[in-house]
Amino acid sequence: MNIYRHEMRMSLRSMLYWTTGMLVGLLFFMMMFAAVSEEASVINLIVSQFPSEVVRALGLSTLDLSTVLGYYGYVFMFILLVASVYALKIGISALSEEIRAKTADFLLSKPVSRNVIVTAKALSVITLLALQSAIYSLGAFIIVDIITGQPYDKTVFLLINLSIFLVGLFFAGLGLLLSVSIKKIKSVLPVALGIVFGFAILQMLNQSLADPVLAYLTPFAYFDIARIINARAYESAYVISDAVLIVSFTLLTYIIYRRKDIPSV
Amino acid sequence: MNVIEINKLTKYYGQARGIVDVSFNVREGEIFGFIGPNGAGKSTTIRTLLALIYPTGGSAKIFGKDCISEGPEIRRQIGYLPSEVYYYDNMRVIELLKYSASFYPDTDNKRIYELAEIMELDLGRKIDDLSYGNKKKVGIVQGLLHRPRLIILDEPTGGLDPLMQHKFFELIREENQNGVTVLFSSHILSEVQRICTRVGIIKEGKMVKVEDMSTLGHTNYKKFKVEMLEPQPVDYFNLAGIGDLSVNGKSASFIFNGDINQIIEKLYAKKISNLIVEEPSLEEIFMHYYEREA
Repeated sequence: MNIYRHEMRMSLRSMLYWTTGMLVGLLFFMMMFAAVSEEASVINLIVSQFPSEVVRALGLSTLDLSTVLGYYGYVFMFILLVASVYALKIGISALSEEIRAKTADFLLSKPVSRNVIVTAKALSVITLLALQSAIYSLGAFIIVDIITGQPYDKTVFLLINLSIFLVGLFFAGLGLLLSVSIKKIKSVLPVALGIVFGFAILQMLNQSLADPVLAYLTPFAYFDIARIINARAYESAYVISDAVLIVSFTLLTYIIYRRKDIPSV
Repeated sequence: MNVIEINKLTKYYGQARGIVDVSFNVREGEIFGFIGPNGAGKSTTIRTLLALIYPTGGSAKIFGKDCISEGPEIRRQIGYLPSEVYYYDNMRVIELLKYSASFYPDTDNKRIYELAEIMELDLGRKIDDLSYGNKKKVGIVQGLLHRPRLIILDEPTGGLDPLMQHKFFELIREENQNGVTVLFSSHILSEVQRICTRVGIIKEGKMVKVEDMSTLGHTNYKKFKVEMLEPQPVDYFNLAGIGDLSVNGKSASFIFNGDINQIIEKLYAKKISNLIVEEPSLEEIFMHYYEREA
């Protein structure tokens, strides 16, 4: 419990910065909603001139930019990218930051087992991601409500926003696993950016090719916004795939970290 | 009773040698000096005892329990001070020490203030703003605040000024008098001579010898470098107790172990232009010591 408290104290502020950044980005994009929704027919006309593969890759084929949720869903794809970079970053940092800051000797010479350390750190990561989703959802709700002033489906809105948490867990879990598998990560953020954009490109490919197998390879495909808007629910196959991967990443992290040599300072 | 029992402990980092078949025991209530040059395997041995790294072969027990499988339980009773100290930069000293204390059930914070006062440590400062020596003091306090039964010190005195070193040794001696066992790793022989009762010597990953301090204690090696005004015969300094003698015209250098007055007499009889007397490095002593033994 003391490790968990310590972790939270160390990383709460950075989480607030990232979440504020996401909300500021949202505010900026939502201010253009009125203009975009008015000109939606013109935009649709321009878009229809593009090759259909490109339109699908950009996610423009399924979302109606003239509606609140359609437009929000499009903007949300970019916000989700930022949230994913944050999730991957804290996942990678949780265990490896102690080695980079050379505080691992301090922590691991205390009477705690490796498992307890992983548990405490993983719990703090989950808490941070949950707080991030909660704060973002609340902020997004206020921003969208005030700026658009139009009614929209609140359940769908919540389902869209909750995918930040579910995708975040995937990246955090992946980050934990990477941090114990790779010998030394010198700088976390560039690695996190690279990996998240790799998955985003995979998602563009997936949207363009509409390949059912490819979709399982990228968490961005698990919570497709157009399908959430239509079905008002997630698709269970993808939720299960997400959960299985999160649990596997975490279990592997426990197993590898148990036997990991802590490099000398 | 043995507090530490190390049996054929071996650690390879991939292909690189860490330690090979290291075996020795540390008895309850003693201050055991663990000496050897840099890279000999002192830290590797200590880090294995603390389960920071996992052995490739052999085993180690502390308080009769296996270091790896019962690590957390053992570490409750261990205070560890590493050679390089790093803490969370944005914490204050007192916060860090309380965090450290929170790992040990029923420690009272009074001990933190007591130790901080002895070591003249300012508890309100940020870790980031501390000098290396002050960080070391934080290390000493966090290593002792839970009243461990075994203290493991890995080259602890670097960065401490002589006055603080003295206070630190007093503190360790006091703990030892209360029955605490100490494993003290160092490459500075005089430090080890100062407080240890027994020493183990490690070289190139292998234990060379474990010996009572009283055996090593009578040795009083000094390293001499002399510049004469006139060239001297090669065997001018050739006394009993001289080692590594090299004479080159007017200059001579050697290691001497014995009654120092003999050398003074020799020097007094001649005009000299320069004289350096210093503590020989451990390696030089060992070379000399073990050459004679062999």
